[in-house]
Amino acid sequence: MITNRRTFIKVLAGAAAATGARLDVAPALAQAAPVRIGVLAAKAGVTAPVGESGLRGTQFAVDRINAAGGIAGRKVELVVEEESNPKDTVERFRKLALQTKADVITGGISTAVGLAVGPVSEELKALWLAWDATTQKGVEETIPKPRYAFRSVDNEAEAVMASILAARQFKGKIKTVAGINNDYSYGRDNWAAFLAIMKKFGMNVTPVVELWPKLGETNFTSHVAALQQAKPDLVFSSFWSGDAPILMKQAHAAGLTQSTKFVLTTAGGVHESMKKAFTPEGAIMGYNSLYFEAPNASPLLREFSKWHQERFKEWPNYESDHAYFTIVAYKAAVEKASKAAGGKWPTTEQTVEALEGIEVESLSGRRGYRSDHIMEASYYQGVTTHKNRHDFVTIDPVEVMSTKQIQKPSGTGLYDWINSWSV
Amino acid sequence: MLGGVFHAAVLFLVAAGLQLVFGVQKILNLACGSFYALGAYAGVSAVNWALAAGAPPPIFPLVLVGAGLGLALVGPVIERLLRTIYDRDESFQLLLTFALVLMFEDVIRFVWGTAPHQLSSAYLVYGQLRVGGLVIPVYNLMGFLLARTRFGRIVRATAENRGMAEAMGVDVSRVYVRVFTLGVALGTVGGALVIPATAAVNEMGIDLIVEAFAVVVIGGLGSMRGAVAGALIVGIMRAVAVATYPEVEMLAIYVVVIAVLVLRPAGLFAKAAA
Repeated sequence: MITNRRTFIKVLAGAAAATGARLDVAPALAQAAPVRIGVLAAKAGVTAPVGESGLRGTQFAVDRINAAGGIAGRKVELVVEEESNPKDTVERFRKLALQTKADVITGGISTAVGLAVGPVSEELKALWLAWDATTQKGVEETIPKPRYAFRSVDNEAEAVMASILAARQFKGKIKTVAGINNDYSYGRDNWAAFLAIMKKFGMNVTPVVELWPKLGETNFTSHVAALQQAKPDLVFSSFWSGDAPILMKQAHAAGLTQSTKFVLTTAGGVHESMKKAFTPEGAIMGYNSLYFEAPNASPLLREFSKWHQERFKEWPNYESDHAYFTIVAYKAAVEKASKAAGGKWPTTEQTVEALEGIEVESLSGRRGYRSDHIMEASYYQGVTTHKNRHDFVTIDPVEVMSTKQIQKPSGTGLYDWINSWSV
Repeated sequence: MLGGVFHAAVLFLVAAGLQLVFGVQKILNLACGSFYALGAYAGVSAVNWALAAGAPPPIFPLVLVGAGLGLALVGPVIERLLRTIYDRDESFQLLLTFALVLMFEDVIRFVWGTAPHQLSSAYLVYGQLRVGGLVIPVYNLMGFLLARTRFGRIVRATAENRGMAEAMGVDVSRVYVRVFTLGVALGTVGGALVIPATAAVNEMGIDLIVEAFAVVVIGGLGSMRGAVAGALIVGIMRAVAVATYPEVEMLAIYVVVIAVLVLRPAGLFAKAAA
């Protein structure tokens, strides 16, 4: 409280001194100012759980980095914006790049958003490390030879792995197959990849019914009835959201899970909802890039799983790993580039160069970026089992495949690549 | 076919809530889908809570209905809010009720999180039969309530001519609160009852709103019989489309909607009493 003129002048002088002092050290402070990482995370609709999972992986990475002294000595500060429709998300991306002046922006789940954000990242020369969102058709045309955008793993990688496992597991045991996939490019691409691989492996299967419920559907009783009518030996589904447990629940009630085999490429994204009560043993199920109970789990994954379980009362899923990877890859690239630049903070271009071909330890093991800016990762899939301590299914044995095996190489079409396999 | 009827039953409950509220209050309530989603989440929580408290599993349908009815208590609160727009343009109603949809989505995320919620055991068979079997009693009950009781007469009078009803001494705002709460209850009970067959997911409400509107367009706005017919048409059309030509699953419904709009713009049962 300023009570008279004399104290007021004292306070003023003190404030001036403080300001002066701060001005003096300003250059040093600028060096140690926090690194701003912008994050685009979905918070509404079908992708909300995925966005939430990505944010958890991001938070875990940033907490660890800050506890260990930050990136090249600078603490990390997160600025989270919502991923919604392409138009609004592009605006938020611009805001993060221009107004927040984020050093790097991570995130993005929906490909519609990715296709819109990619060109803007190039235009603004703003470094963008996508979690997902850049896997589908149109990416080659919209973001050709990206310089500032780094892309996720191909859409079909999970279907490719699951199909190889299915061929191994069910060869000679299945004659008819059916597909139930969401009616958009992810679902359609996965089903097409599955059929192509079945053919390549000489499985001689006939597709008897193809069902395309829209994304977000929560009632599959009609679809299950159609499946019952068609009596396929195997049902292939790339459902990844709340629809996966609902489908299995309704299929189980209709008696479909007793005789029919299932391939669930991505149900591991909602693994805790895949209860034993209705998910059969012997199905092939994929966890994308992170399996929380991987037998060869690194100390890092164990620590993360424990942190996740204690904090959220849930076991983690893959989007945490994508998000974690983008942060640690950025840190490694900056530190590598900074070393090369003699200890100075690298320019965005120097960071980009360091990111190309980088490999770091992520939650799921070693992960990296190819020189064409596409992620490399390990994928976890296996055969469902009820023998565990949970009320939901897990997989045993666990198969691990690198995207070096299950993702098409740079510059090749998916089907040309599949046809070139020697099996 | 059974799948189609099951879906129709759910649609009927939500559409009936929509019809009732529109018929009496002339409010196009987009939030009917949110009540459905809220009912589903509350249903899961209530059953899990009841089982944890040692209740015998067979009473779970009662728990579900109870959860739905209990949740209808949000009705009077929302109705209070809607009062500000009774006399305004329809676009305000749509804006306000759509805002409610978005807000409820956030409420659900805040309370229950983003992961899908479901009952730990599969009670599906009960669920399908029960919801399917519920349509006729609910329809009859609504018919009885509206046609034979004092409350129903007042409601119909209000729907017919609000000013006249008021002049005759009807407390219109009280009627509105009750009607709206009843409409909410139809949605929440509907949501709670689908839970054995499915899982509660955040976006389930929005999805249903669109289909409920298709039902209303086909059946005729404000008509209870229309809601039944519309729901059956939509449910069965979908089941048939999926079984025969899955590609047209969604298209089939809207072809019917367009046909109705062209041939009988007011809907199949537009003249029937609310």
